[in-house]
Amino acid sequence: MSTAMNFGSKSFQPRPPDKGSFPLDHFGECKSFKEKFMKCLRDNNFENALCRNESKEYLECRMERQLMAQEPLEKLGFGDLIDGKSETKTQV
Amino acid sequence: MGGLWCPGWRRVVLCGWRCGHPGSSTRVVERAEPRLRPGRSGTGGAERGLRRLGTWKRPSPAGQLAVQPPRRPKSTNPFTRAQEEDWRRRNKTVLTYVAAAAVGMLGASYAAVPLYRLYCQTTGLGGSAVAGHGSDQIENMVPVKDRIIKVTFNADVHASLQWNFRPQQTEIYVVPGETALAFYKAKNPTDKPVIGISTYNVVPFEAGQYFNKIQCFCFEEQRLNPQEEVDMPVFFYIDPEFAEDPRMVNVDLITLSYTFFEAKEGYKLPVPGYN
Repeated sequence: MSTAMNFGSKSFQPRPPDKGSFPLDHFGECKSFKEKFMKCLRDNNFENALCRNESKEYLECRMERQLMAQEPLEKLGFGDLIDGKSETKTQV
Repeated sequence: MGGLWCPGWRRVVLCGWRCGHPGSSTRVVERAEPRLRPGRSGTGGAERGLRRLGTWKRPSPAGQLAVQPPRRPKSTNPFTRAQEEDWRRRNKTVLTYVAAAAVGMLGASYAAVPLYRLYCQTTGLGGSAVAGHGSDQIENMVPVKDRIIKVTFNADVHASLQWNFRPQQTEIYVVPGETALAFYKAKNPTDKPVIGISTYNVVPFEAGQYFNKIQCFCFEEQRLNPQEEVDMPVFFYIDPEFAEDPRMVNVDLITLSYTFFEAKEGYKLPVPGYN
């Protein structure tokens, strides 16, 4: 955290998120997808690149349940995953 | 004017003497009466001196140099005198313009603050001079696969907030240009619903400008019912330009830390940026 002592230097400016805030998943509707994602992360030594499918599925679950604004997946950076899940699996 | 002493008989005498000699310069008068000085200062002139006879006052005991004599034209020639008066008038005009410009600059510097805010609102730059990260940038960005960055997560809670707040993974390895998902978990162990609001911080400071959050749970009130536990996701990416910044060459670790505070009812937290 930026302390008050650093008078001359710039302080950290938090920026609001681009798409706003996630509504809370009070009923745990997407909990199973989250568990799959966390298991994938733990199995792959916390490498994000290998678990992008699971994260895509989690976000899709949120979008279906109105817990997230509907967005085309390309805009969320999953453009390469839409063309077929098998392709990405072979890349891994 | 305090201290003015205008004896009536002296005024009559002087007026009579002066009226008789309209063309003579005031210098003769003042040499003859060295101790008397006109009450008002200003540019001299025979005609003006005549009008100001009522303001002659006694010299102050402090000294005769206390009051400056009025400025009078340096020449007696009426043509050059007119020219001098003309110069003086022009000098005054220039001085007025310069003073007006100085005041104008001061006013402009005060007006700059709300004007800049207006400009930011209309152009949507929101207080930062860097162009906004549009969603089309996310679409087109290419992951820089050879630069692996470790992102660690930290969770803090303000002392007055009784939530159990912690990250669900200690670290995650990402590359710039790739979107990533991470989870925090929060539990409200009390018997009352509690509203929290959070903010975040990124260390190191310079890397913070490359850290973009697409969606998270910060800066908005989040309400947790009694004994409720929720997953809080953060969806973020690191700007691909991170790999090209020479100052970031040695940065391999970025720490994202969230802090939750209790939100009081009716308390509006100022959201960052110009809203």
